[in-house]
Amino acid sequence: MNTKLIFGFIAMLLLFPVTTKSQNLPSGNSVAEKTFAKDDGISVSRKLTMELKDKRGKVRIRETISLRKYFNKEKRLAIFYLTPTSVKGTAFLTFDYPDASKDDDQWLYMPALRKTRRISAANRGDYFLGTDLTYEDIRLETRISREDYNYKTLGKENIDGHSCYVVEGVPKNQKIAKELGYSKVKYWVDADVWMLRKADSWDAAGNHLKTVKISDIKKIQSIWTYHHILVKNHKTKHETIFRFTDIDYQKTLSDDLFTEEALVNGF
Amino acid sequence: MSLKKQLVVLLISAFLGMNAQEKKKTFKDSFKASLVVASDVSYEFSSGKLQKSELIIKPEFSYKVSSKIRLVLKGQAYNEFNDALERGTPKEETVSDYSKRLFIGDRTNIELREFYVYAKLFKKIRLTAGKQQIVWGETDGLKLLDVINPQNFREFILDDFEDSRIPLWSLKTEFDIKNIGVQLVWIPDNTYHITQDFDAPFFTKSLFQNPPEGIPTIFNETIRPSHFVSDSDIGIRLSTFTKGWDITLNYFYYYDDLPVFYNNLQFIESEEPMVVINPKFERQQLVGTTFNKVFGSTTFRGEVAYVFNQKFSSISPNSVQGIESSNVYKSAIGLDYIKGESVISIQIFNDIITDNISPFNRDTFETNTSLLVSHEMMNDNLKIESLWVHNTNHGDGFVRPSVSYWVNTNTQLFFGSDLFYGNATKLFGQFNHRNRISFGVKWGI
Repeated sequence: MNTKLIFGFIAMLLLFPVTTKSQNLPSGNSVAEKTFAKDDGISVSRKLTMELKDKRGKVRIRETISLRKYFNKEKRLAIFYLTPTSVKGTAFLTFDYPDASKDDDQWLYMPALRKTRRISAANRGDYFLGTDLTYEDIRLETRISREDYNYKTLGKENIDGHSCYVVEGVPKNQKIAKELGYSKVKYWVDADVWMLRKADSWDAAGNHLKTVKISDIKKIQSIWTYHHILVKNHKTKHETIFRFTDIDYQKTLSDDLFTEEALVNGF
Repeated sequence: MSLKKQLVVLLISAFLGMNAQEKKKTFKDSFKASLVVASDVSYEFSSGKLQKSELIIKPEFSYKVSSKIRLVLKGQAYNEFNDALERGTPKEETVSDYSKRLFIGDRTNIELREFYVYAKLFKKIRLTAGKQQIVWGETDGLKLLDVINPQNFREFILDDFEDSRIPLWSLKTEFDIKNIGVQLVWIPDNTYHITQDFDAPFFTKSLFQNPPEGIPTIFNETIRPSHFVSDSDIGIRLSTFTKGWDITLNYFYYYDDLPVFYNNLQFIESEEPMVVINPKFERQQLVGTTFNKVFGSTTFRGEVAYVFNQKFSSISPNSVQGIESSNVYKSAIGLDYIKGESVISIQIFNDIITDNISPFNRDTFETNTSLLVSHEMMNDNLKIESLWVHNTNHGDGFVRPSVSYWVNTNTQLFFGSDLFYGNATKLFGQFNHRNRISFGVKWGI
């Protein structure tokens, strides 16, 4: 009898902390919501340098100006390529609507043709201009999707000394999985500032596809801001580093910078 | 030196130093320079000779005077080793004095490609004044509304439009009225297409009626508009984005960039019949629209133009001086399907002469089609592409397969071919003996 009680007690002890832990962990959806609730400022101007490195070590560097502004709840993002000469003048514009059921509108200005092309936002799993991030990754800006995945919070882990919630996501259906190009994702979201610090993704066949590491997160004009993103594609062995500098949330960005004409006229 | 003097000197030095530092920083931030050097060599199969061997140097400078004013200058030095595409020193009779190239011998020329100031005025108005390219339209490969800047046809339509388009001295003003973008253009530069001489590889003989054999021909000087204001071109474009549709409405009052070849039979002095050709640029008007919308993975785009009073060389005995006029309806519908790094783009162009006339060397209803297939690999390092343009009326066309590869950030290699086919009297088929293979390298910094 006593032995049974002791085993029962041990079992309760073993169960109890787990239950407590589960109860203390936020759901994946609420983590996703928190990443969206984080203050991004009304607008931001920043210099974005992309370093593309292939498996043989060949490096290509692209410098851009990235502008983002909220028009009520609609977010507009414009990226103007400054260097190298080969892509100079290329510009990208996206209108990200608050209604998740409405596809984004996207335009790409190609200076060699002097024409602006509409890009389908349905191809959100396509890679963004030769980098290892997809159009969807660029749109989310290190937040995690609220609509595309069924989440499960796995626990808490430290990344670079910061406590993070570990959230695993599986696409809600095959269509979404096909669009995004991921069969599973795993996110490490900072428990204090609600920003992504690390992400792993797996392709449709279940192979480990990419690892994203976000670092150098610090406050700029009172807003938590990332400065460095490293993306490793395990399949192609290609890497992209995104470096953000000259970040300014207070610079006045006129509305007409977020138009098709602005893509043509340049920054 | 007294302490007071020393302090004054120190303050002045500090002030000057600070100012110098600010100026230096401002200039560094404001001034940008870049350079592209490109070399392209083409081998012509039929002649077994180099058809093209060019070296192009393109310096570009921009200076931000302030956050609202920017100056841009783009120059070009062009050398063609074999002097094949534009033989000798072109007279450039169709080019205004302000836009002429400076020729150094037969093989080299220097050109001010673009030189303009871009300014934002009164918060609402964007002004671009100077030598520039203004591009309208949605189509690739063939043009409908992209008629503001003329073109150099030294490589027919094979040259990149960026290089073949001739920038013009013009004024472009843009502003918004609610959600409608308004663009006004004024082009006082009387420069028109540069077509090639009879002995050049890409002389477009299909456009001209040959005089009857044995009858001498007098080719008079082309009458080119020359009045700065009254002969200038003007245009307006209204654009909006509504319910996922990009829509523009366009109007352009302009001189056609190709002259009309009025001709008649005359008996001069010897009383022998002679054909006298009097080329003259003529006014016309164009109204048009463009539209595009995304449906899933596919972008639907289109372009419609209606040209009033276009002049055509005629084969009708009732034509006046060998010319007849008609309005022309032009349309293009395109679908771009993008999946991953692959693009499939199809376009159908229709061109309908609305009046009952008998144009030379073309039907009154013509259809061209194009198919573009491209695929990028290795994170956009390698691109394989093929463009096929085909005229369904005459069965002529061309195919352009190509491969390009970025060796590093600044260097691109290019390998391609241009293959024409069809009846030698038709627009594309006339170049069926000009098929070529090309290799190029482009370096930029």
